[in-house]
Amino acid sequence: MSFKVTRRKFLQTASIAAATLPLAKVVSAETGFVRDPFTPPGSLEGTQTVTGGVCEMCFWRCQLVGKVRDKKLVKLEGNPKSIDNGKSICARGNAGIKLLYDPDRLKFPLKNVGERGKPVWKQISWQEALDECGSKLKAVQDKYGSQGIAMFPHGASAKYPMDFFEKVVGTHNVSEASFFQCRGIRDMAYMATFGLAPDENVDMANAKAIFLIGCHFGENVHVSHVKKYLKGLENGAKLIVVDPRYSASAAKSDIWVKIKPATDTAFLLAVMNYLVQKDKYDKKFVEAHCVGFEEFKKGISHASLDWAAKICDVPAKQIQEVAEVLAASAPNVSVHPGRHVSWYGTDFQRIRAHACLTALLGAIGVKGGFVKGKGVKVKGITWPTVAEGGEEHNLRLMADKYHYAPPGTPTELIRDACITGKPYPIKGCVVWGQNPMQTIPNQQKMVDALKQMDFIMCVDVMPTDITMYADILLPEACYLERYDFIKTGTQWNFTDKQQQYIAPRMPLVDAMFERKDEIWITNEIAKRMGYGDKIPVNSLEEKINKELAGVNLSIEQLKKEDGIHIQDGKDPYGVPEDFEVQLYNEDLADKGYPAVPTYIAVEEAPKGFTRLVYGRSPVHTFNRTQNNVWLHNAMPVNPLWLNDEIAMKMGLKDGDEIELVNSEGVKSSSKTVIKVTPGIRKDTVYMAHGYGSKNPLLTVGFHAGADDQQLITKLAIDPETGCNGMRNNFVKIVKDGKSLDIPA
Amino acid sequence: MTDIFRFLAQSMRYPASEWFNEDFWSVLLSLLDELQWQEDKAELIRVKAGAKDFLEDVQIEHTRLFINAIPHVVAAPYASVHCKGDGTLYGMIAEQTKKFYREKGFALAKENDLPDHIVYELEFLAILANDDPDGQKKFLETLFTPWFKIFKSKVLEEAHHPYYRVVMNLIDFFTREEL
Repeated sequence: MSFKVTRRKFLQTASIAAATLPLAKVVSAETGFVRDPFTPPGSLEGTQTVTGGVCEMCFWRCQLVGKVRDKKLVKLEGNPKSIDNGKSICARGNAGIKLLYDPDRLKFPLKNVGERGKPVWKQISWQEALDECGSKLKAVQDKYGSQGIAMFPHGASAKYPMDFFEKVVGTHNVSEASFFQCRGIRDMAYMATFGLAPDENVDMANAKAIFLIGCHFGENVHVSHVKKYLKGLENGAKLIVVDPRYSASAAKSDIWVKIKPATDTAFLLAVMNYLVQKDKYDKKFVEAHCVGFEEFKKGISHASLDWAAKICDVPAKQIQEVAEVLAASAPNVSVHPGRHVSWYGTDFQRIRAHACLTALLGAIGVKGGFVKGKGVKVKGITWPTVAEGGEEHNLRLMADKYHYAPPGTPTELIRDACITGKPYPIKGCVVWGQNPMQTIPNQQKMVDALKQMDFIMCVDVMPTDITMYADILLPEACYLERYDFIKTGTQWNFTDKQQQYIAPRMPLVDAMFERKDEIWITNEIAKRMGYGDKIPVNSLEEKINKELAGVNLSIEQLKKEDGIHIQDGKDPYGVPEDFEVQLYNEDLADKGYPAVPTYIAVEEAPKGFTRLVYGRSPVHTFNRTQNNVWLHNAMPVNPLWLNDEIAMKMGLKDGDEIELVNSEGVKSSSKTVIKVTPGIRKDTVYMAHGYGSKNPLLTVGFHAGADDQQLITKLAIDPETGCNGMRNNFVKIVKDGKSLDIPA
Repeated sequence: MTDIFRFLAQSMRYPASEWFNEDFWSVLLSLLDELQWQEDKAELIRVKAGAKDFLEDVQIEHTRLFINAIPHVVAAPYASVHCKGDGTLYGMIAEQTKKFYREKGFALAKENDLPDHIVYELEFLAILANDDPDGQKKFLETLFTPWFKIFKSKVLEEAHHPYYRVVMNLIDFFTREEL
């Protein structure tokens, strides 16, 4: 470029230029400014405390207040009125501000004018975006039926659209990662044993012993839950941790069982058999509440200490020691049900064993045991069920398997139908708050399922990996910017004064850019699909107000009460007379599943490979937080834990940069580092989940660390539930481009 | 200069058919004529003539440069992403900018919008150009130029489309402190 006219010269002739150039005619009449008489400094400098926040950096949903200065959120804190998390929030909760103001966040509706997987984005109007979503989804519905639409939802904001697609549009093909790749197995296994889902309801604060199988509190930080756990330890509870890795919990344990992965069920069977054989179980509880004890006793009679010791690669004496501690502490024992339990494809049986052990110890409804808090029920307002067709296209029923599947349809049945077109085609896809690329194993299968779609829409706050496959990408207001979920519960310590709380999520700041909430987006799509007359509420505010009206509250009242309504509660202890535990479950037997908890061996690592297990980092919630600047700085990569003796044999040292390749030849697309430690078994490597995003739109999280999910390509399906097992994959270490065998 | 700054602000808005039309284009080319930036003018004309859908091309480029893109957004048009902070939105400089507006008796019409967006800053320069040259100088020196020079270099380095290169150079030309 040549600057032939200087600015001075141009400005000197500005009047001529202005006369020549009709600049003013081509600019908007309005500017972004209004006159606002200056207020002297001081009166606007203060920081206002805004109440009513409910966190969603993870799903525990702690209650928050926001410190807001001149419309800017400057700090998040626990709501001092909270009887749940109190003033405390975790590192992730604090870092919510960096999600709110992340420049990579989605801001406007985008249309992909490139290819799926290699998108070229163009900002479009909401009108155009919604018209396209509505018309394309309707076209799929008209051509292939409602069952031709699949949905992958996650998080509080996905419930309303999920109900729309299930109840109004009428597709069964909805698969929530929180069920099928996480806790669904646990809920269904306890349902089949206790008749109810357990959540994480163990009274650890008042336990004499806490028994954790794979749970790693301190790395998995849910504030009120961790408070219970630490209170229990402070009160002298014995801590037993079963884990192949010296986790944060193992580091606090009285007994660390360094178990061989995939053998936990054998361990539990041996503990239970020992208790039964030695008459150290709670006979009174078993007689009063348990069904099928004799069948159960017979069914586990083979599980001697020596049998389990050999399978689990732990000393028989240690199994005995665990059983003795549990017996001595009974009934005040917290046998933790776990949360993310989709490990080996045999997990329903293991979780049934958790529940049966709890019952044998009589650890139900007593201090320290399995105790459900008695919180308030707030009835939700959602779409009416109007879809016709019943169960005709329910893939699970058509397959006649996975009879204990959690709500929705098992993910693999949906993906298989997408890829094969059988028993029917699935050609439309709605992804709402979930990142199936990093939550569902076998990424290539996901890509294949997506690529054959006629239309894909994604709604999210961040450009996660899955959004690269969207045709239309819609920006959602985040949890700090919208009304939403009503959190209810009780005081965290059951032996404190009995109280209940109700805390609806209220915005701490207004939504920026063109971000919208789930009610508005769903309703607009519903109108365009011809379901405008079925819309139950017109705004999130209306929804929350209607729901609160059911308990004689309102948003206005909650604001007066600093965001949390607290009322007298009820004693949670005690066992209903009709409470029944199915030690032997006849229904399971009728459907061809083991009726008594049963150990099923899984595949061993091929020579040169080792088993990959994964877990939680204390400062991340999997891929949801990988682009957060503060959290990234706290833990930028996910080191691969490698046993020190193995590392020495392989010539690897702490901090070495490596990649991984799995036994099916899939190589990680980004690098991580080695953490050499004696705190892991020789036959196992471990890394935190949720790193190594492949979406370059995530400036911070892109290729930061390695993505374990990419290496989980071998599919294991839990036969009772249809949920995925994700720890049956085996890896080698690649250093400087050379693949290294891992010695046995 | 008011009209110039408002024109520059307009040129950085998302290119919608309502305003990114032949009238706008004609004024832009005339401005380049006045400045004797003939090479830029010729390049713009050439690219437009060869485009299948010129508006969409500029929309895609705007999205890629300033909103969300692969490999990542090139240059978010907010001061605090580039200056005095950790690269996130609504940093210290954004608050300082908002305070400056307020001290001059103005506020954003949409009060929840980010105050340090380039469109707002150019519009504010248009307001100051009327009767507050000292204010304009101070705004340029303390709040605009420190980040714009970083922003401009990122855009110039990575822009695929000549339109935004030209706009960056125009903004630079009219906001340079030295005459």
